[in-house]
Amino acid sequence: MNTRANTIATDGSKYEASARQFRGNVARDLANPQLRENFRGAMDYLTDKRRQAFPSEDELETLRRKCQLIKQRCLLKLPELLEQLESKLEQNGIQVHWAETTAEANTIIAELIQRKNGTKVVKGKSMVSEETALNDHLQAQGIECLETDMGEYIVQMAGEHPSHIIMPAIHQNKSQVADLFAHNIPGFDYTTDVDTLIRTGRQALRDKFCHADVGVTGVNFAVAETGTLCLVENEGNGRMVSTVPEMHIAITGIEKVVELLDDVPPLLSLLTRSATGQIISTYFNMITHPRREGEKDGPKEVHLVLLDNGRSQAFADEELRQTLQCIRCGACMNHCPVYTRIGGHAYGTVYPGPIGKIVSPHMLGLEATKDLPTASSLCGACGEVCPVKIPIPKILLRLRKESVKAKGEPLVVKGQGCNRKPLEAGIWKLWSRLNTSPVIYAIAMWLASRGRWLTPAKAGAWTRVRTLPKPARRPLRELVKQREQRREGQ
Amino acid sequence: MNSAKANILAKLKMQLPAATDAALPAEPAAAPEVRSPAQNVEQFVRLLTDNHAEVMRIKRAEIAASVKTLLQQRDINQLMCGSGWVDALQEIEGEISLNTFYPSIDGNKDTLFNSVPAAITGSRCAIAATGSIVLWPDASEPRSLSLVPPLHIVVVEQSAIYNDFGELIRKQRWSEQLPTNAVLISGPSKTADIQQTLAYGAHGPRELVVLLVE
Ligand code: SF4
Repeated sequence: MNTRANTIATDGSKYEASARQFRGNVARDLANPQLRENFRGAMDYLTDKRRQAFPSEDELETLRRKCQLIKQRCLLKLPELLEQLESKLEQNGIQVHWAETTAEANTIIAELIQRKNGTKVVKGKSMVSEETALNDHLQAQGIECLETDMGEYIVQMAGEHPSHIIMPAIHQNKSQVADLFAHNIPGFDYTTDVDTLIRTGRQALRDKFCHADVGVTGVNFAVAETGTLCLVENEGNGRMVSTVPEMHIAITGIEKVVELLDDVPPLLSLLTRSATGQIISTYFNMITHPRREGEKDGPKEVHLVLLDNGRSQAFADEELRQTLQCIRCGACMNHCPVYTRIGGHAYGTVYPGPIGKIVSPHMLGLEATKDLPTASSLCGACGEVCPVKIPIPKILLRLRKESVKAKGEPLVVKGQGCNRKPLEAGIWKLWSRLNTSPVIYAIAMWLASRGRWLTPAKAGAWTRVRTLPKPARRPLRELVKQREQRREGQ
Repeated sequence: MNSAKANILAKLKMQLPAATDAALPAEPAAAPEVRSPAQNVEQFVRLLTDNHAEVMRIKRAEIAASVKTLLQQRDINQLMCGSGWVDALQEIEGEISLNTFYPSIDGNKDTLFNSVPAAITGSRCAIAATGSIVLWPDASEPRSLSLVPPLHIVVVEQSAIYNDFGELIRKQRWSEQLPTNAVLISGPSKTADIQQTLAYGAHGPRELVVLLVE
């Protein structure tokens, strides 16, 4: 399991480097039967849970439509909602910081912690902080930054990254976790009993909550109307992290803002049901103020860091903008035949699976991620289960097109045109010429059918797993013509 | 205005010259499930029980006695509560030592984490559709009471059960008056992070006992 960690460099561009190695990663992980078994088991479990959570197809469809429109409305108003969110939060006493890049976000957070002379940070689950590689950044400055979500705790201990956005340690089974604990937790009595494993983690982490200087969390919804940060979780670590330390720093992508408090219940319902099949998570935590005068606990300072990191690029284009509707439920990966087989680490990006394929090009550029949109059978499962109806297969096709765009076309995605090959482009040009001129087409078909014996047996990568089709003996047009003649003759 | 903010907003605005949400179709209203108050109570109890909470249906006069029994069943002889509970629980003081929360959590975290086996809180209301209890912690009932001790006892008024979260937010006008922290609790803390196996007591309370008052 450590080989996987080693393929991911620890500098800021680490995901760019690992995304480039996609093909190699896939070969490596497909050859690991244990990994495939772990993913298969987990995905079967999650898809089944989701199915049970939506007994009524009608209700599901109405709710999906509603949430799709809510997110689209919020995105269309995004600039004004962000400003409203900021002013509401500041009225409430929560300080807002803006970051265009992951490096800026990390600097802001490190400075906030250092201003408090903090050395111990506990973290709730936050995929955005994975984007910024916050742990590495803080550790480099001598600040301990400990993951407290059980899955994240395991992943951090193993020196890995989450392989799933909801269940980060899904690639490990209980004996692997037991081995890990045995290596890393002094006094751990080896067992594969899950209750005991969790109790071991709980014991280790309670002490950390108790003594931490700062808590860092993500955000599921940021409500502009009231200036409220909403956190969805089952374990209670998010509440710990946002309640016990004196300072709470939340970090989120700019697309997480919703306009109204009324928008929250339908989104919450779809989120938890799509993610884990729960009608609601154990805790739904709504934070609107730091500790007020007279209150006896809660953080004295609350900060929100709003991160762009390429999101505004996706925002420019109406089709690609739908990528930002995502509420990070993970359903698309749970239902993806590719993800189920190759697992979450092969992608090399923070967000794996279908959503990762459409969002990573905006964060890392299409050049580093050009293989991702092609790693799909376009079966459509992701688009069908997505609670906010993101047409993921369509966007994958769109990104494939962007990746072979000619030079000089207007910039839509950073790194567009990176997959364009002159030979391929030439062939397609010829192809389109051939197919738009009846005369040339007829001649070409005549030649192809007569020269079918010239078809080579092998044609590069294509024939590694397929046989090359031969042109028919006679083109369809000729056959039809012959048939007509025969009929007339009868 | 700092430059990151200006840049982000400028990028977003540049890209949205004419787009407006007015062009979007109307958002469909999801039909709420219709339940009678009695059905609401039944659903609330069923969902919480399914989620591994223990629900005891009691009369108001029985609160103190029920608390005593359930603590004694667990061999616990001390309870932390908000200042508002001292009077109501006075009759069990002899057998159970009652502590109110510290003047402040600062400086008292070690004892809170290590020496408080159980706590009791009230609740603002509850939600039938999802089996959730709504807490609005305040100065007299701090947020860590329902979070840190391994056993959380919560008192819920049967008459305060709403149909669903959306209805609750609208009827109580939450958008005008949110507290420092509002929290929906739908069971004891849990996790399925190790091989999809459910385990209770991940970080928060291992046990949630709901006293549902008629
Ligand atoms: S793209 Fe849709 S299905 Fe995938 S994580 Fe986002 S919201 Fe969930």
